[in-house]
Amino acid sequence: MTASNRVAITGIGIFCGTGKDVPAFAASLANGISGIAPLDLFDVSAFPSKLGCQIKEYDPRTYFDSRETHKLSRADQFGIIAAGEALRQSGVLGAYNPYQVGVSLGAGASGMFQSEQWLRSHIQGVKAEPSLLRGILPDKTSTEIAIRFGLAGYQGSITTACSSSSTAIGWGAELIATGKQRAVVAGGSDTLSILTFAGFNALKVIDPNPCSPFSLGRQGISLGEGAAFMVLEQEHDAISRGATILGYVLGYSIAGEAHHMTAPEPSGSNAARVMSNALAAAGVDAGRIGWVNAHGTGTPLNDVVESNALKLVFGERAAHVPLVSTKALTGHCLGAAGAIEAVATMIALGGKFIPQTLNFRGRDPECDLEYCHNGPIPSGSDIAISNSFAFGGNITSLVLAR
Amino acid sequence: MRYDFQNIVITGYASLSAAGTDSGQLLHMMTAKESALTPVPPEYSCGKDLLWGRAVNFKASDFMPPLKARKMDRCSQFTVATTGLALKDAGLDVTQLQPERIGIALGCGFSGLANSAEFLEGYFTGGVEGLSPMLFPNTVPNAPASNASIEYGLKGPNLTMVQRFCSAESAFLVACRCIEEGRADVMITGGADSLMPLMIAGFAATGQLNSYAAAFGEGCGLLIIEHAEHAAARHAKILAQVSTVSTVGLIVPGYEEEAEQILLSDLTAGTCCSFSGTAARTKLFSKVLTQSPPPLQIEPAVGRSLAMGGTALCALLATLRSNQKGLHLASSPEGPHYAISLTGGSPV
Repeated sequence: MTASNRVAITGIGIFCGTGKDVPAFAASLANGISGIAPLDLFDVSAFPSKLGCQIKEYDPRTYFDSRETHKLSRADQFGIIAAGEALRQSGVLGAYNPYQVGVSLGAGASGMFQSEQWLRSHIQGVKAEPSLLRGILPDKTSTEIAIRFGLAGYQGSITTACSSSSTAIGWGAELIATGKQRAVVAGGSDTLSILTFAGFNALKVIDPNPCSPFSLGRQGISLGEGAAFMVLEQEHDAISRGATILGYVLGYSIAGEAHHMTAPEPSGSNAARVMSNALAAAGVDAGRIGWVNAHGTGTPLNDVVESNALKLVFGERAAHVPLVSTKALTGHCLGAAGAIEAVATMIALGGKFIPQTLNFRGRDPECDLEYCHNGPIPSGSDIAISNSFAFGGNITSLVLAR
Repeated sequence: MRYDFQNIVITGYASLSAAGTDSGQLLHMMTAKESALTPVPPEYSCGKDLLWGRAVNFKASDFMPPLKARKMDRCSQFTVATTGLALKDAGLDVTQLQPERIGIALGCGFSGLANSAEFLEGYFTGGVEGLSPMLFPNTVPNAPASNASIEYGLKGPNLTMVQRFCSAESAFLVACRCIEEGRADVMITGGADSLMPLMIAGFAATGQLNSYAAAFGEGCGLLIIEHAEHAAARHAKILAQVSTVSTVGLIVPGYEEEAEQILLSDLTAGTCCSFSGTAARTKLFSKVLTQSPPPLQIEPAVGRSLAMGGTALCALLATLRSNQKGLHLASSPEGPHYAISLTGGSPV
């Protein structure tokens, strides 16, 4: 993406357990207030961990009428709420021909929360409400967003597990940079479900305590849910229509590790390659990067690999490029994680601070970089990287600027 | 939205379906109006007379060691097997390529749901003790593309798209952009889908057995696309050149003409068309039904699936003559809609 077709961010929206809109989330981010707490969305009593970052006190009827509440999955609802906030802030609706405005979604378990209720009834031989299956495919959220807001242009859903929504933002930026769409609302939505909660428990990668990325004694992730979106436009279009520019997507890169379905390649060389390629795509020298919003799950292996990758990209400067994880704040929101972290990165860049990595338990000798465990720090940095790694070895890095 | 491409060629393809792994056989069945659909066994058919397109002759052990096959879900097995066939068709030895320069963009539909259902059934019937950790990694829709990347060492761009009946076409567009943008020299792209009996119960519950879910199929259709210079440097056979990929998300009342202009501007007399998804029911594409030659439709032969576009594109490639124009059209009931324009042979 060159200077002539810079991709501007003109709206952001977020809905998650740490904040139900941008101002609330920004306050939590700045003050290190985590949303991780005991779960009550479904029965977790049989599992060692009973925590997660659930969106509490959520009544869909606050946002939707009864017919919509019935029709839309929890993931669809979250997506519409967050995309709506981003679109309203941008003021882009009605600004362009409907075929020039699209939606690029990253999705994960999506409507599984409802679909698994149907499956349980089916197994028990009980007739279940068919509408529980409506959101079983992850693309449904993109279609619902497109229909609700009249976005008749590109409509696509990326499903690369935990890197889905950061890839959706990168791909959305590409649609803008190439001039094929005038505006794209890009991001992701995902919800807690028994499938993912039981699955990660079965793999023994859920920490019984709130996750503590990059800390000694960390035992794994805390799951979360939510949605986040950003509205992307070419800079000159945004300026022409008088929109406020919040920042830029300067570039991105994606790759597969071709290593293992669940474990990252230990050296971090693939993650380093993707970060370096993203910088090259952005036309940004590594020396200009102020900090990195890590994938930072809090699993013993991920955090070491990501630290190794940072050293490969930044060399001797790595110790001075904070590698922070906002997952201790939001939980790991799977298909929505990349978008939530991209929005967190934009808020922090705009607020001129680097967020804290919460829940420090002690220094891990294998994680020997700066992780901002002691609190957020002021920063004049204009540019940051946001990383996402996923099952299957999918890696995405976004280069974001204020 | 329309992307014009100048330097992207297709150098190989392979499909796996109820008709087997021979795309020529698939084409023969389509032209002879034969069908590989078989009755859904009564224990799964919800009391109805149903057909489906199960790839009954597929044996994973024909393509990989049984131990490896057991670690994969059925859709991953399809994808790994078909990737090998497509690479072979393109004359590509991946060990001779830079692994970072070859990637995969795959469209999937219900991939991952079979493992999800089995995993959850273990929990619902046996509690925590009933959980099988081995099933969980392949509950994600990107498992097929990732398993293929692991099997063949593909370290380039890796992406999975799900977009209802346009999943394969969505992936095809991303793959083309990866080549054009210089992110990769070679991309494997298309679609993969697997059937499971529980889907029939789900379709019955949602009232789709008599509409879009009638005669569902499974399988995998993959194309090898390359930068023209890369293909020329290795003296590859050129099956077709990719000219354009166009898409609209929704057809807006009052803006139908504009949608038609975006999607059908490459339609000319004599263009060989293929239909995928619900294209045959899309009003905008109705005039294509009366074109000569009539559009290729794989659905009567092997069934419809969300990622059938890959297999439909394979059928189109098997038909295209040198310099003949091809137009692949795909629709989902609620959108999106896609048009992919190809030129057969080696016109570059």
